[in-house]
Amino acid sequence: MKRSTVLTEKNRIRWATVFSFLIILPLGLSVVGFVLSRGQETEVFLEAPDPKWEACYRDAEYMRYHHMDLLKDVREEVVRFGIRGGLTLAGCGDCHTNRDQFCDRCHEAASVRLDCYGCHYYPERVAERELERINPTLQGPGQEPTEIDPAVQDPEQEPARIDPALQAPQEGR
Amino acid sequence: MDRRDFLRKTGTALAGASGALSLPVLTSCADETVHADSVLEGKRWGMVIDLTRCRDGCTACMDACRKTNNVAFHDDARWDVHWIRKATIKPKDESVGHEEKSVLLMCNHCDNPPCAQVCPVQATYKREDGIVVVDHHRCIGCRYCMIACPYNARFFNFKHNPDWPNKEYPQRSHGVVESCNFCAHLLDQGKRPACVEACESVGAGALIFGNLNDRNSEVSRLATGGFAKRIRDDWGTKPKVYYIGL
Repeated sequence: MKRSTVLTEKNRIRWATVFSFLIILPLGLSVVGFVLSRGQETEVFLEAPDPKWEACYRDAEYMRYHHMDLLKDVREEVVRFGIRGGLTLAGCGDCHTNRDQFCDRCHEAASVRLDCYGCHYYPERVAERELERINPTLQGPGQEPTEIDPAVQDPEQEPARIDPALQAPQEGR
Repeated sequence: MDRRDFLRKTGTALAGASGALSLPVLTSCADETVHADSVLEGKRWGMVIDLTRCRDGCTACMDACRKTNNVAFHDDARWDVHWIRKATIKPKDESVGHEEKSVLLMCNHCDNPPCAQVCPVQATYKREDGIVVVDHHRCIGCRYCMIACPYNARFFNFKHNPDWPNKEYPQRSHGVVESCNFCAHLLDQGKRPACVEACESVGAGALIFGNLNDRNSEVSRLATGGFAKRIRDDWGTKPKVYYIGL
């Protein structure tokens, strides 16, 4: 009867090799991945404080990291206590007209699923996108991409993905 | 100082210190329980449906409701959602008569709502002004409230609704339960529900809406006048929708 599973001297060396591989391989891969990924940090937030943003509810820094808290507070006030007339999602769309840039850019980078627009209206493209998401065979009326002033346009970016409100000329920078 | 004395004194000192320290904490906790100022206090919305004035074949209120609240209509009885609907009833006991009646049915906005009691996530609740509302952000679509509601006033969104006539009011996504909310978004702006406006614009005036807490309002006058009935008052749900001529 062959008893290869017993830890004889020969088997011991073999097992040691296997285990060391099991430990070294993931470690090494993670180190390699870390080294390769350095310097590739993607810029998620748009660096273009528009003059319009002063009229926003809070400053850009607060809105970037805490807009969800603000929205939840407003939601509680409206739904539970009937206090209306403040912040609305459609109101956000009055200034930030491009949802691709304003919402989806960061949410896709952070892989946080947006659930607002299944019910709420955002002025641009939302109905069509939601329809496509829910039922690809249903197609809403097609819409032209937003008109962009060529003087403002950044040549490095794709023309269809530029929010005019965010790409306003930067002065004093 | 012996051991017993020492223990007693240090114990008293510690208790005193902890009491003094915890006082501000306790008071601050008490402050936090004060919630947002309510604009709904003092109101108790109710509706009187005068079936003697309601016209046969008229669908003004139902159409207005669909348009204002984006209520789904798929032209299929399995998936249609109705916030207000008409049903034809006839007496079970034929000795009473054969007369058929067309009755408007809607959420009765019970003072003692069974739907709110059973909701496991408190998505359905009674607002301070008495309206029974569904918070669609919270609803998980378990349909427990549909089973609990004795008036069959609640409907489930089995499908996404492609129509969106009123962009100022949100749609409902697939998988939540909805029912009439007395157009709470219009009430908060000082307007009246869409069905009431529509009924008046048609000239029938069968729907009378107002504050039941206000003794001088037409609603409370009609509701307490002796002619108004509520559907199955014996169940103890205490609806705020009254019927005349039922």
